[in-house]
Amino acid sequence: MRAILERLKYNGLFVKMFVIMVVSIISVTLLTSWVTIRMSERLFMNTFSITNSKVITQIKTNFESFNYAVITAANNVLQSGSIKGFLSQGDGDSGTIETNRIYFTAIQLMKQYQANLDAYDVGMTIIGANGRSYTSDNTVWPIPKNQLRTHPITINTNAEPKRVMYQFSGGTPDSLNPVIVATKALYERTSGTLYGDLYIAIRETAFKRFYTNFTSDGNDVVILNRSGVIVSSNRDDLIGKLNVGLLSFAKQIEEEGLPYKNASVMGGEYVLLAEYLPTYDFYVVNLVDKETALEQLVNTRAVALICAAIVLVALLIVFVISKRLTRSLSLLVRQMSNVTKKNFHNYINVKGSFEVKELGYAYNYMLDELNDYVKRLVETQREQHNAELAALQMQINPHFLYNTLASIKILVQQGSKEKASDTINALISLLQNTIGNVSETVTVSDEIENLKHYVFINHMRYGERIKVSYFVAPDCLDVRVPKLILQPFMENAFFHAFNDKPDGYIYVLVSAEAGSLLCEIVDNGSGIEGLSDNGKLPNPKGGRQLFSGIGIRNVHDRIVLLYGNAYGVVIDSKPGEGTKVRIRMPLL
Amino acid sequence: MKKVLVLLLASFVLLTACSSKSDNDTSTSEGTNDTASQGTTELTAWAWDANFNVAALNMAKDVYATQNANVKIDVQENAQADIVQKLNTGLNSGTTKGLPNIVLIEDYRAQSFLQAYPDAFYDLSSVINASDFADYKIGPTSLDGKQYGVPFDSGVAGLYVRKDLLEQAGYKVEDLQDVDWDKIIEIGKAVKAKTGKALLTQDPNDLGLIRMMIQSAGSWYTKEDGTTPDLKDNAILKQALETYKKLMESDIVKVTSDWSQFVGAFNSGDVASVPTGNWITASVKAEASQSGQWAVVPFPTLPNTPSSVHASNLGGSSWYVLNIDGKEAAAEFLKQTFGSNVDLYQNLNKQIGAIGTLKAAASGEAYSAADEFFGGQTITADFAKWTEQIPRVNYGMHTYEIEDLLAVEVQNYLNGKDLDKVLSDAQSQAETQIQ
Repeated sequence: MRAILERLKYNGLFVKMFVIMVVSIISVTLLTSWVTIRMSERLFMNTFSITNSKVITQIKTNFESFNYAVITAANNVLQSGSIKGFLSQGDGDSGTIETNRIYFTAIQLMKQYQANLDAYDVGMTIIGANGRSYTSDNTVWPIPKNQLRTHPITINTNAEPKRVMYQFSGGTPDSLNPVIVATKALYERTSGTLYGDLYIAIRETAFKRFYTNFTSDGNDVVILNRSGVIVSSNRDDLIGKLNVGLLSFAKQIEEEGLPYKNASVMGGEYVLLAEYLPTYDFYVVNLVDKETALEQLVNTRAVALICAAIVLVALLIVFVISKRLTRSLSLLVRQMSNVTKKNFHNYINVKGSFEVKELGYAYNYMLDELNDYVKRLVETQREQHNAELAALQMQINPHFLYNTLASIKILVQQGSKEKASDTINALISLLQNTIGNVSETVTVSDEIENLKHYVFINHMRYGERIKVSYFVAPDCLDVRVPKLILQPFMENAFFHAFNDKPDGYIYVLVSAEAGSLLCEIVDNGSGIEGLSDNGKLPNPKGGRQLFSGIGIRNVHDRIVLLYGNAYGVVIDSKPGEGTKVRIRMPLL
Repeated sequence: MKKVLVLLLASFVLLTACSSKSDNDTSTSEGTNDTASQGTTELTAWAWDANFNVAALNMAKDVYATQNANVKIDVQENAQADIVQKLNTGLNSGTTKGLPNIVLIEDYRAQSFLQAYPDAFYDLSSVINASDFADYKIGPTSLDGKQYGVPFDSGVAGLYVRKDLLEQAGYKVEDLQDVDWDKIIEIGKAVKAKTGKALLTQDPNDLGLIRMMIQSAGSWYTKEDGTTPDLKDNAILKQALETYKKLMESDIVKVTSDWSQFVGAFNSGDVASVPTGNWITASVKAEASQSGQWAVVPFPTLPNTPSSVHASNLGGSSWYVLNIDGKEAAAEFLKQTFGSNVDLYQNLNKQIGAIGTLKAAASGEAYSAADEFFGGQTITADFAKWTEQIPRVNYGMHTYEIEDLLAVEVQNYLNGKDLDKVLSDAQSQAETQIQ
């Protein structure tokens, strides 16, 4: 997990780039497919509606020609005196022979009229007010004649005797075949008296032949009557069902003259085309199931597969290219991040693309510059420091000289020539050793000699109440140390350690310890108040009789500057017991 | 880079594979009948008369289905005229689309189909044994020695009478065992006088009664060759027409216009008798309230005609297999059912009163059983007895064509035209039309 996160961190750019590309490619693909499919859908729907409205016109023509045949048959029946006689005459009106003749003629005529409708597979029935009837084919609509007189179909027909009506019957108990019955009331032209009814029944299975050629899966035709009952459909499950919703759509299409309408009916999305058949008082509705139609148009599976393949290929290409692009960059980043604190020497292997190479060159050049600059800075600082020390070293305190010379004068006046002479010698040696290059080193023995001169002068000036002893290991005598490295501490001990005490002593110990030179200046004075824990001396206040500008606070800095952090000054002091200064330097 | 190339190539192959797949989806056209050899075979059968032929076919279908689940038979009821018209249309146009595998054809018409469309029907000679069936059925169902039809029901005719009405008029069933039509008319008048009911129904467009009359005397509309009209100078026909006119003039006939009125008339008790084929039994028995009131008596003879016997025939039909896909399966179906299954015929007889023409079936117990509806009369045995007496005639090809002409002339005759003139006119018209 960590490793993955680590990898991700360095591949962040790649991951981001790749994710963006993935999202873009997928969304572009999806959007393009969607828009294309939408466009082709619309185009398809438009074309489809044009074709289907032609189809509907053709269906309408088929219906019209059937209607024409029905009307012709109905007119023939209506105009036939023989049939009128057959249907209106009473049973007792004539003898058997005459009745026989009437029956014969009427049926012959009916058969003749029926012949006009032979193409349509219909059953013709006439039924008279006198109870006589004739059916050409009782299997089409096997309804008992006694029921027919009071059947709703008859009642509807008789209500509008002048019209040929098309009505739907869901079948009879004997035969569940739905039928469409064209009916016509037979009436006396002059008096208007009804004498019978004509029924031309066509099985729904035959009726649907007018349009089933044009239907297909997802392209259904439904014939609705005025009340919304589906009288015929290529989908058998719909026949006889009431569908008011569909009817209202059909009416809307018809009234508003819409070419087609998208609607949600019967639990699906359909494109509806409708046409009103005025002669039938039916609506022909063409239902195009969008889903099925478009499934035929758009092979969703193929589109999806093609899209997926394109996306996959594109992603592979993007993956490879962006991986190549970012690999050198992430390598660069990894190398750069290896540059640790204070280590500016981590140069980069320059390789990869042009941009990355340039970046690498620039980085390396910058490191060069940086190192160069640091080196120069260190050099400058060192020089500056040396200059500073030199300047300080040159500043032999005039007070010291004045006081020393004043003491010598007094010694001369007192006549102690010997002492005066020794003091002048000590001062001369001291000044001789002090003046000169500050960076020059002297041997420990020389430094101790200097120290002794300084102590001698001080003894001359202030008396010998402070005793000074020197313990120098013989193997350390030739070790070289910076000039005036011990003098400031001796000075400090003289002027601060014994302010409260009448007398005391100072030891100077020089020895080699653990490969380094250890110089110790120990006094038994009053100690230093407020010494900080790190052992550094507080900054002494000015206005005293310092020998030179170099103070004790410089000593540590000088040693560190010259020899490094391993060396330096440590001060240990206890109030009332004295101070111990330890100076560690390399054995040179 | 190589990998990428391989991948691109692979995806291209995939794409082409996808796009080529969408082409071949909806090109399978479905024939109405698949080859018989594989899977489920669907057969279509046409018949008329829901109470009789269609019912018989459905029973056969059920029997067959128990042993042959892979054959589905769609039984479609159509009016006989409709079947005739559709067959003619289909066979004339040379297309067999929409035609059934099995079709029922009335014996009167059989020859007209077999001779007009010799290749349209499947030769069943090797499927059934013609000698297993009643002899008089073989003539109409075969052509040139080849057996095309599976003979089905006997059209043996009888006179169905209402015993109760006859008794009211003073007659008994025993009195009608050996009578001619003159006697029947006399009885009819008595019945009419006593009960107000007509003797029988007649549809002026259906001369079935005349056909029965002339066949009982061994005559037909055509001569023995089956093609020459035999109307003029046909003494038997002349006698039949005279009897017919006499019947009509007696005011004992209820005129009907179609089948439903015909059935309705006797079911509602409006007529005292029904002279027709035995296939009407089921329709007679359909009116259960008249149980025990019916009897069947031998068909009356034609007056003044020595050759006339107490037996005749009306209708009767046979099954034919059309020479289209599925013919083997259809033939097999007929062979196992109507062609040989004695038990089926027993059941057909018990349930719908059908009298088959398979000789083996006649010995079954159902054929000798008494029928309570007919007052315990063994009507099947009686019909079987009469069957043997039916005079053989050659129905030929033109029965109904001639009858259509004759029906018009009969009307003229009834309305006063001279009978000889009527027959000679009909003869000349028939000769013109049939040529």
